Amino acid sequence: MTATGRVIHWINAICILTAVITGLYIAHPYYQTLIADPAVDKYVMAWNRWIHFIGAIILDVTLIVIAYLYFFSRFEKAYKKLIPTGKNVKEFFEVIFNLLTFNRRKRFDSTHRDSFNVVYFAILHLLLVWMLFTGLQLYVQGLESGLSSIGKWWPALLHNATDWTIAATGGTLMDVRISHHTTMWWIVSWVVFHIYYQIWRTIYWQEGDIAIVFGGSKYVEKRR
Amino acid sequence: MTDRAEAVKRVFTAKNSRVDTNRGERYYKELYVRCKKRIEELKSMESFGSKAELSEILSDEGYSRRDFMKWTSATTAMLMLPGFFEPLVAEAAEMMNRIPVIWVEYQDCAGNTEAFIRSDGPKIDDIILDIISLEFHETLMAPAGFQAERQLDDARETFKGKYLLFVEGAIPLAENGIYGTTGPAGETFIEQLTSLAADAAAIVAVGTCATFGGVPAASPNPTGAKGVMDVINGKPIINIPACPANPANMVGVILHYVLTGQIPELDSLLRPKFAFGYRIHDNCERRAHFDAGEFVEEWGDEGAKNNFCLYKMGCKGPMTFNNCSIIRYNESVSWPVGVGHGCIGCSEPDFWDKYAYERPMADANIKAPAGGVEKSVDEFGLGILTATGIGIAIHAAASLFAGKKSDGEDAS
Ligand code: SF4
Ligand code: SF4
Repeated sequence: MTATGRVIHWINAICILTAVITGLYIAHPYYQTLIADPAVDKYVMAWNRWIHFIGAIILDVTLIVIAYLYFFSRFEKAYKKLIPTGKNVKEFFEVIFNLLTFNRRKRFDSTHRDSFNVVYFAILHLLLVWMLFTGLQLYVQGLESGLSSIGKWWPALLHNATDWTIAATGGTLMDVRISHHTTMWWIVSWVVFHIYYQIWRTIYWQEGDIAIVFGGSKYVEKRR
Repeated sequence: MTDRAEAVKRVFTAKNSRVDTNRGERYYKELYVRCKKRIEELKSMESFGSKAELSEILSDEGYSRRDFMKWTSATTAMLMLPGFFEPLVAEAAEMMNRIPVIWVEYQDCAGNTEAFIRSDGPKIDDIILDIISLEFHETLMAPAGFQAERQLDDARETFKGKYLLFVEGAIPLAENGIYGTTGPAGETFIEQLTSLAADAAAIVAVGTCATFGGVPAASPNPTGAKGVMDVINGKPIINIPACPANPANMVGVILHYVLTGQIPELDSLLRPKFAFGYRIHDNCERRAHFDAGEFVEEWGDEGAKNNFCLYKMGCKGPMTFNNCSIIRYNESVSWPVGVGHGCIGCSEPDFWDKYAYERPMADANIKAPAGGVEKSVDEFGLGILTATGIGIAIHAAASLFAGKKSDGEDAS
């Protein structure tokens, strides 16, 4: 994994965690503001929303970088592993067999990113893109005056870019919210399996996979 | 006429719900001249409705000229017109009895009618609605049966192509619409609406049932109820949702029509932007408590006594567009959130299924995409997570049991 890749990984991880913690609060404030101060001073919901937005904006930026790297990375161009060629499909299922046979069968090259991994990450990226569009739609609902501190073009752009999510989710503003919230649960589940799988690989493959995300490389014993 | 059709088309294809509060001096000057001409035209016409002058009725009800002028400024501002339109708006209000209105009721509770006739002491909005030339209104008129039917036919013939058709209530479509019939001949609602719509100048759907189907269309919608805009094509339709529609917004739409001869600018759901271009949440007096994270946790608790935000009690102000939080009801006396209950999103489509519950969306019971038992959004999410967890646990246990073996070792 390149240095850029590792930086993106940890930025994404932190942002997703932040967005989940603050997002759960926004959806249903789960702690009370126990500060005996007037309302103007504490701003608890406002801070949660601010942090949620900042996390989301950083995620949006890394997503654009990731989209770029899919095609133009100088190293492993991920899109090549997404095309369902015979080789990729075979590799994809071999990795799944490996997982299901508890490493009894391992018939693919584990020194580089495999097809299954790329597909699994593509799912996360699609979920995040969906969060981007639905999230910006929820955000623009608060800019109903058509004005913003950076100009009228911003809400107009957001409307043009995200109004389709209303129709896509079921036709009401509430559907967009429900979808944004449910997708969060899919992402959390994604993360849980992701962590498990990395640990499992590390233990069973004995190739030090967990180190990839810290040091950038792993250790593969040469076949005798 | 083609101009108007074009203008209407433009409005209908506009998707953006942006509100333009200032269109520049030139636009308003031109509009003023046009409106002035139209008012003069209307003045030369005979009034159909109440023969009495508005000023007389107002003073009979105890309103001074000053009260009326105050109402005029507020209404001018509500219609997003500049201050110099005030005299025109006042004249337009006096001309309201020149516009013939046919009002029909379908699957409804007559709540919108009630809203403007049953206020405690009629407000200026209500009085003005009283003097419009109501040619036909089942709830308010004396005749019934064949007599009523004749009156409707008369009105339709006399004002062909000129009347505003007000529709209150949803239209049942299941089994050829037999769930709702009207008149001595047992005409179905959909038949009557289609023929009345054909001769109308424009249709105003009042209340959420007429606009989006509302309560009759709530799941499982046994009568196949639909809103007007889903069953009528090729006519200008103005939606004034909310339960009930605010009389101020009804007056606003009619006034706009009297003044300009056109329907107001509409959003993608055909709601006039002057009324539905605002989000409840952004103009709510409890908003400071929302930002502070101070919520009512239970009806009647300390927070409720201190007017905290009602979000946790299910307020849907953040996803509802309406002007209740600005103009309120009954001449700005109060509004739902003002008296301590959250907004239930009554001016949005499908509000009964998707908005009207007393808890935040995360705890809302919604139908699972595949149908089946209702689950709350968070229960559904935790379900996904639990399934993932169980899958992982099984795999981990099986892995432990199988032990560390690799392909290579296996072969050796
Ligand atoms: S009471 Fe409702 S509309 Fe008002 S601030 Fe709270 S959530 Fe928003
Ligand atoms: S506050 Fe909400 S529920 Fe109440 S009338 Fe207004 S839009 Fe409808």
